[in-house]
Amino acid sequence: MGASGSGKTSMRSLIFSNNPASLTARLGATIDVEQNHVRFLGDLVLNLWDCGGQDSFMDSYLTTQRATIFKQVGVMIYVFDVETREMGKDLEYYRDCLAGLQQYSPDAAIFLLVHKMDLVREPRLTAFQRKKQELQDASGDAVISVLGTSMYDESLYKAWSNIVHTLIPNAAILTKHLQTFAGACNATEVILFERTTFLVIASSSPTPTSLDTSLELEGTTGIPKLDAKRYERTSELIKAFKHSCSRVREEFRSLEMELYDFTAVLDEMTRNTYVMVIIHDPTIEIAAVKLNIRLARRKFEELQSDSLVS
Amino acid sequence: RPRLNGHRSSSDTVERTKILLLGLRSTVIPLQIWDCPANTTVESLGVPLSQFSTIIFVIDIRDLYNQPISKLVEFIVASYAENPSIILEVFVHKAEKLQEDDKIENFRQIHERVSDRLLDISPEYEQMQLNFHLTSVYDHSLHEAFSRVLHKLIQSLPFLEELLNVFCPNIQSPKAFLFDTRSRLYVATDASPVDSATHNLCCDYLLMLNSFGPLYNPTPPIHPATNGSATNGSTSSTHSRPAAPSMTSAPPSIHTPQPNPTRHTDFFYPSSSTTLNAPSSPSGASTTLSYHLITKHLALLALLPSTVYEERRGLVEYNVVFFRQGVQEICAEEEFARVGE
Ligand SMILES: Nc1nc2c(ncn2[C@@H]2O[C@H](COP(=O)(O)OP(=O)(O)OP(=O)(O)O)[C@@H](O)[C@H]2O)c(=O)[nH]1
Ligand SMILES: Nc1nc2c(ncn2[C@@H]2O[C@H](COP(=O)(O)OP(=O)(O)O)[C@@H](O)[C@H]2O)c(=O)[nH]1
Ligand SMILES: [Mg+2]
Repeated sequence: MGASGSGKTSMRSLIFSNNPASLTARLGATIDVEQNHVRFLGDLVLNLWDCGGQDSFMDSYLTTQRATIFKQVGVMIYVFDVETREMGKDLEYYRDCLAGLQQYSPDAAIFLLVHKMDLVREPRLTAFQRKKQELQDASGDAVISVLGTSMYDESLYKAWSNIVHTLIPNAAILTKHLQTFAGACNATEVILFERTTFLVIASSSPTPTSLDTSLELEGTTGIPKLDAKRYERTSELIKAFKHSCSRVREEFRSLEMELYDFTAVLDEMTRNTYVMVIIHDPTIEIAAVKLNIRLARRKFEELQSDSLVS
Repeated sequence: RPRLNGHRSSSDTVERTKILLLGLRSTVIPLQIWDCPANTTVESLGVPLSQFSTIIFVIDIRDLYNQPISKLVEFIVASYAENPSIILEVFVHKAEKLQEDDKIENFRQIHERVSDRLLDISPEYEQMQLNFHLTSVYDHSLHEAFSRVLHKLIQSLPFLEELLNVFCPNIQSPKAFLFDTRSRLYVATDASPVDSATHNLCCDYLLMLNSFGPLYNPTPPIHPATNGSATNGSTSSTHSRPAAPSMTSAPPSIHTPQPNPTRHTDFFYPSSSTTLNAPSSPSGASTTLSYHLITKHLALLALLPSTVYEERRGLVEYNVVFFRQGVQEICAEEEFARVGE
């Protein structure tokens, strides 16, 4: 949901269709609702409704189509253009949608994305905080997450990783197994990505969803302090490279790096996931890591099918 | 609006210290770039053209008309008169603005009109070294064109090419490049033709590796968004690693309890590889793109069959070591010659 031109279809095309940001300039306004079934993690089918944001459509969602739109919603994502000149109207529609959602799907998670952050010139954090406050005030006592995003940097991956995280039933179990696996590989960190979107599903580090707190983890766990944006930057980099590969009609399969400061292996874990193993111990051989990944495959395949059926 | 950029040749050591072009410091060739506005003339340059090895003219691909072409021709004639050995390059720029067919047609017309005008003036210009390139900043065509310009200035090019020509068949590689990692210009390639799709892929791979390099360092660069505590943490931390790869002392271990051996950056050369599948090929044959750092700033990128990379890794590494030795010797020679100048 969100006003026309706020960037909903652009996001969808970046995250789920492996398109570069430059192509979104060609998108026209979405007419009515575009429904998409995106297979996520193989068996988890996300039913994505991209609701065109022009006033006439919004009015009809809120009246005649109200039940159709707001029934059985798992997550509502409301996109606000940070530079909008009609915040008053945006908020009014948002409040109406919130009411509709509370009426038909009171348990739905709610994400508010303050989008096109790249256009903000003043200190971004201040601008974002101000918007966030405004949105919180408009939301009453509804539980909401407000995230700043731009399709030109990794923030979009972070936001969408958070969103899909609420849909993955066994994220905590996965984290535990990834920790065991990290131990076996002598790895600093192991990260699991969904195959097509390259969104982060889980990682061996304690709280993958609240990455900003990773600074505080240092010392307590012995994990070195790493860049807080590393996961979403990795998603962004790999997605961009996947796109380059597709331009030469090749399909990206795996990556290994032995750089000055760390060793990393990125490879298929299950049919629907990729794993990235980050190692800071220079004595560990890449071949050993690859063998470990091969040995862990079946276990993770089982884990995934168990949890998705239940 | 024809434009000109002048490349200063690197004849004196004093001037060279100023050179900060595209990260090409202390690679195979030190060079200096002069970026000149459109209204520059040979006179207003203030320096004799004999000091330059190359002139690049930049012309918009949509400028097929009389005026911009005349201005370009005028400058070419003046430059040639002053320095007949100067290398002249024309970048027909902003190519992505046009559709494929128009692009080729406009390029051809610009090329033809400039050549015709020159021959009208004097048949002597037939021998002039004048090269045309299609470029755009929206893909890697600019990198490719710039690389080609650069090649004419690299005296050791034939030796580097020879090393690559030996390297490729040894590991069944259809294509290999020696890249300057920071500017992503290639310094040399083997004799097989350069296909721009492969070249683009290599540029993108380098771009990705450059970004990954600092991403998982234990001491992250301080983001403006993070608060001051990040700085405090890094200084008090017992397990910081060198932020810059050029550090020569052995960094302390990151796992606090038992001291791990660490990479001696003097002897350690980063490497990487990525495997690609060709979905169209029924045999499922896959290709590996390998990256090996050769000197501090040069990296060898090679395409090779994944079977070779996986099953005959020793062979690949042996050839890389051999190649590295060759390149390092050439670079040392060049360094020596330069100091002696
Ligand atoms: N600067 C900037 N522009 C963006 C960003 N995201 C999207 N855009 C641009 O915003 C314009 C509108 O995007 P759409 O995705 O079509 O908007 P929409 O929300 O689907 O609009 P409706 O379908 O009418 O509801 C496009 O030209 C995008 O290129 C962003 O993060 N930054
Ligand atoms: N479409 C397009 N625009 C370009 C390209 N290269 C440069 N530009 C734009 O052209 C404008 C002038 O570029 P600039 O480098 O400042 O020109 P200069 O005056 O010759 O130095 C800028 O707005 C650039 O963004 C290109 O390949 N394609
Ligand atoms: Mg749309």
